[in-house]
Amino acid sequence: MNVVVCVKQIPDPAIPGQLDPQSNFLKREGKLILDDSDAYGVEMALQLVDAAGGGEVTLVSMAPNNEASGLRTALAMGAAKAVLISDPALAGADALTTAKVLAGAIDRVKPDLVLTATEATDGYTGTLPEQIAGILDLPSITFAKKIEIVGATVKVDRQTEAGYDEVEAPMPAVVSVTAGVVEPRYPSFKGIMAAKSKPVDELTAADLGVTPGAGQQIVSVIAAEARQAGEIIEDDGEGYLKIIEFLEQQKVL
Amino acid sequence: MDFNETPEQTMIREAVARIAGDFGHDYFVTKARSGEKTTELWDALAGAGFAGVGVPSEYGGGGMGVTELAIVCEELAAQGCPLLLLIVSPAICATIIARFGDDAQRSRWLPGFATGELKMAFAITEPDAGSNSHRLSTTARRDGEVYRLRGTKYYISGVDESDAILVVTRTSVDEETGKGRLSLFVVPTDAAGLERTVIPVEITAPEKQFTLFFDDVEVPAENLIGTPDDGLRQVFHGLNPERITGAAMACGIGRYALDKASAYARERRVWDVPIGAHQGLAHPLAKAKIDLELARLMTQRGAWAHDCGDAMAAESANMAKYAAAEAALACLDQAIQTHGGNGLATEYGLADMWGIARLLRTAPVSREMILNFVGQHSLGLPRSY
Ligand SMILES: Cc1cc2nc3c(=O)[nH]c(=O)nc-3n(C[C@H](O)[C@H](O)[C@H](O)COP(=O)(O)OP(=O)(O)OC[C@H]3O[C@@H](n4cnc5c(N)ncnc54)[C@H](O)[C@@H]3O)c2cc1C
Repeated sequence: MNVVVCVKQIPDPAIPGQLDPQSNFLKREGKLILDDSDAYGVEMALQLVDAAGGGEVTLVSMAPNNEASGLRTALAMGAAKAVLISDPALAGADALTTAKVLAGAIDRVKPDLVLTATEATDGYTGTLPEQIAGILDLPSITFAKKIEIVGATVKVDRQTEAGYDEVEAPMPAVVSVTAGVVEPRYPSFKGIMAAKSKPVDELTAADLGVTPGAGQQIVSVIAAEARQAGEIIEDDGEGYLKIIEFLEQQKVL
Repeated sequence: MDFNETPEQTMIREAVARIAGDFGHDYFVTKARSGEKTTELWDALAGAGFAGVGVPSEYGGGGMGVTELAIVCEELAAQGCPLLLLIVSPAICATIIARFGDDAQRSRWLPGFATGELKMAFAITEPDAGSNSHRLSTTARRDGEVYRLRGTKYYISGVDESDAILVVTRTSVDEETGKGRLSLFVVPTDAAGLERTVIPVEITAPEKQFTLFFDDVEVPAENLIGTPDDGLRQVFHGLNPERITGAAMACGIGRYALDKASAYARERRVWDVPIGAHQGLAHPLAKAKIDLELARLMTQRGAWAHDCGDAMAAESANMAKYAAAEAALACLDQAIQTHGGNGLATEYGLADMWGIARLLRTAPVSREMILNFVGQHSLGLPRSY
């Protein structure tokens, strides 16, 4: 079984991000790392390929400046190869353009399954998996917390607010996975050394026949409202009454 | 000149930081305080091949050098999980056996170092010899096919969790100088006649310290590493990796402390601004940061010099150990100061690092002995002792 995992390389979230004052886009010039939320998809893919007894995991990523450090991390975990689309023409691409690019790259691999995260840690758009599925005309399942392959069917426990739904789709399909799906492995020393010689195919938008659209414009950025200070109630033995009153106000009780 | 690490070195850093970060300082302290070992952390680290990064690849190791092992030690400490046993077992013992062991000895012990399944303590310090290794009084006497070891070692780390101990002994005396000629033996920790008692210390660490009594401990002659009477040279070869990894651990502790201090100083407000805006706090932290980065540079140079067999290895390793221990203490002290009363609270995980940071000023070689070395070898000053 061959699985493609879409992975994003993002600025280290531990370092406070900065917006470009002209374009209002997140600055992504420095070193990029593998988005933590994509490590789950990589791990899931590795486990599925293992369980199937054959096949390989291919990474697909779009990133500026041919940045591949995040890909190396996923290759060190065990992915076999990567496709990296890097093109100045794609700077500031919107979600749809990105989806077209990724879909174009996925289509070349013709995998049995495509895994993505539910959303990227630096963007939070969360629309990409469905857009990719739409472009490739594939069934799509979101928020997988468990994946099982039975024959040519992918069976998924799909996280909902109340619990989970059991859903399935014929493969190939696009499935987005939550952080709960599996515990990502640590890249091992051997994996790190092996990653060095694994192929990273570099492509441009033109190679995939994608013409970047008008893209998106961020017209203004407003700081999030600071959280209001909470109300502190001293418990004089009757504190619980205040809690009940508050919960009633909120219509929880 | 290139100060960038290779992508592989960076990835080793990141992977080890992730492993150690998932366990975290609270895990480390809880285990240490309850007298337990950080076995799960060791297994995760060793299982992924990081304890054996420096072991030659023909024995299943990573085939890298002290540079990479130092990265491992630094990242563990930077996550609040400094492991002394890494300095002893892979850095000293594996290095000496890889370099001076014969084929049979290498095949016997190196695969265990590679996987981290074999742990070996290192015993040189003695109650009456102190920093003067020429005065070692633990003797090994040949008796047919075996050697018999007699004497006392103390402050030997991690004996209770080790399979064996690499013991530095005196096998003969140079008649002219009166100095002992040394030989190294691998002694199983369960050898008959070997007793141990714990030395209670004020260090929060999973490794315990021991006094060892060798009462006619019989060791097969094939456990003598390399050439008899050539032990001093062999020990010196292992001491550079010890100093470098010790320095790396100190650098990690410094980073751990400064990370916490700067995060706290950015958030905590006592007057109208974050306390980090007060130069009274910002400048000492900045100075500590500079000292720390200087120490890291020297540590990297020491590792590089050792790995490529450059003659400056000993000087750099000594300077790195000195600078890193001083920097770690300065970082930790200033981090505690930055936290006000919280700096001493258990919850903030700073004061409990004091013992191990302070240890690194005294061991594996004391600050004064390094200054002696630099005075004599770097500056050509007369020897004082
Ligand atoms: C927690 C811990 C773990 C340790 N682990 C190990 C281990 O695993 N294996 C092992 O073999 N050892 C170990 N040691 C021992 C450690 O390496 C020694 O304690 C250290 O080298 C100092 O030696 P000493 O204690 O004999 O001090 P001494 O040599 O007695 O020195 C006492 C003081 O005098 C100073 N001094 C001595 N000579 C001179 C001189 N010529 N000029 C100026 N000053 C001088 C020293 O710097 C020191 O300040 C450990 C120690 C500790 C505390």
